[in-house]
Amino acid sequence: MSAETLTLVLVVVTALGFDFTNGFHDTGNAMATSIATGALKPRVAVAISAVMNLVGAFLSVSVALTVTNAVVKTFDSSATSATDALTVPGDVLLAIVLAGLIGGIVWNMLTWLLGLPSSSSHALFGGLIGATIASLGWNGVNWVGDGTQPDGVVGKILLPAVASPLVAGLVAGTGTWLIYRIIVGVAARFTESGFRWGQVGTASLVSLAHGTNDAQKTMGVITLALIATGRWTSLTSIPFWVKLSCAVAIAAGTYIGGWRIIRTLGKGLVEIESPQGVAAESASAAVILASSHLGFALSTTHVATGSILGTGLGKPGAEVRWGVAGRMGVGWLLTLPAAAIVGAAMWGLGNLFGLAVGSIVEFAVLAVVAGYLFTRSRRTPVGAHNVNDEWESTTASPNTPTGAAV
Amino acid sequence: MSGAFGDDVRLAGEALWKVLVASLVLGAGLPAVFALGIRSLAWGAGGEAVDGGTGTAASSGNPVGKVLAVILFLVVAYGIVAGLVFVIASGQGKDISFGHIIPTITAKS
Repeated sequence: MSAETLTLVLVVVTALGFDFTNGFHDTGNAMATSIATGALKPRVAVAISAVMNLVGAFLSVSVALTVTNAVVKTFDSSATSATDALTVPGDVLLAIVLAGLIGGIVWNMLTWLLGLPSSSSHALFGGLIGATIASLGWNGVNWVGDGTQPDGVVGKILLPAVASPLVAGLVAGTGTWLIYRIIVGVAARFTESGFRWGQVGTASLVSLAHGTNDAQKTMGVITLALIATGRWTSLTSIPFWVKLSCAVAIAAGTYIGGWRIIRTLGKGLVEIESPQGVAAESASAAVILASSHLGFALSTTHVATGSILGTGLGKPGAEVRWGVAGRMGVGWLLTLPAAAIVGAAMWGLGNLFGLAVGSIVEFAVLAVVAGYLFTRSRRTPVGAHNVNDEWESTTASPNTPTGAAV
Repeated sequence: MSGAFGDDVRLAGEALWKVLVASLVLGAGLPAVFALGIRSLAWGAGGEAVDGGTGTAASSGNPVGKVLAVILFLVVAYGIVAGLVFVIASGQGKDISFGHIIPTITAKS
């Protein structure tokens, strides 16, 4: 096996690993509110979400080869053939992608351990930015767009990160306020069962949209790596096995269920009732769908969190735990630079050893770190059995490393 | 740099405005219609189902409420189906036209 092939295999495995973390990190975006209100049993909720993600991933046949281009100048999208399109040598690109993916995975697992719903897209982009700066310098990063569409770090990451939770929160808050005005005085037996059905429907829609949006990022990364090694030449399609493996990876991750994050979103932020769940998931679905149609890149995590906060604000008398929201906000701010630092460090480590050996070393470091974080999580396990426990009782747990969630 | 930054802010703002309007209609409007449907259902069932808010005492059932509820739920169902078709269509690189009530999938222009 040549050095390049070995690295390619590691890139593919790491990319699927990232896709898997993307799945469990984001289960809560769609299902946290339904689990919290009891509209769905926890196991049933993650199963539905996994199936919808799988279906969604297969529905996304649009080619996301340029996904890395949002932040890294790797690809000339005006080129007509795949080999001409690369603006950096294939081995350089492989090294950047591998280090970037590791940065994304490490940050995703750390935030999962802390129960923080941070953006998987930001983690991936952050890792790629860090690896690119280390490899190509500051000018290798696509900081701003070309004036035709919002692009680059500013247009595709920073602005949406600020704007999308606000928009989602406004929509969810408005929906919540309207719903509670409309159902004043209606007997609980009508509102409870009715809104629970509404929750199941809207949460499924969010899961489907998530599958189409997020799985194709990994599909794009893997296909880019294949192009970089000359194993794929089409710019308008992706190999079927790539689509299949990415769809299965994100669905499997979703099914595992990021219970720590589900708990924070469903119980930690706001105490949610069924009508609020409907308002939150409707707002999330609408914002994600409208944005993807209008080419406004955003993170489903930011939207879902904004929606849940908004539904807490829209219901008179509802309590929003701003301390939890603040922790999440700090997590969001740190995601990009933290993943970038890991990505840059990984690239530097790999560069010491050369492409093939370096890739193996990086992969080994990833395995050790991921193993450690997983072992750490077993000390305070969160699962289907305790995901809905009262929030306050666990925050006092002496075993909790950060003194808050999980 | 600052010019390009300004472009990004302007372009993002333009897209964001449309996202907000569309999301308010679908993301807050449809749940409100759904809530109206539930209220109608309760009104149709009569008895103790609805009190207070309307200013009238609890009344006996009303078939109009049930019919109204069905119509309102159909509106919501239409919205969800349209949303699903939309996800699928845009995933397949197609555009979708709502010009004929029934969502029509067209090739992306």
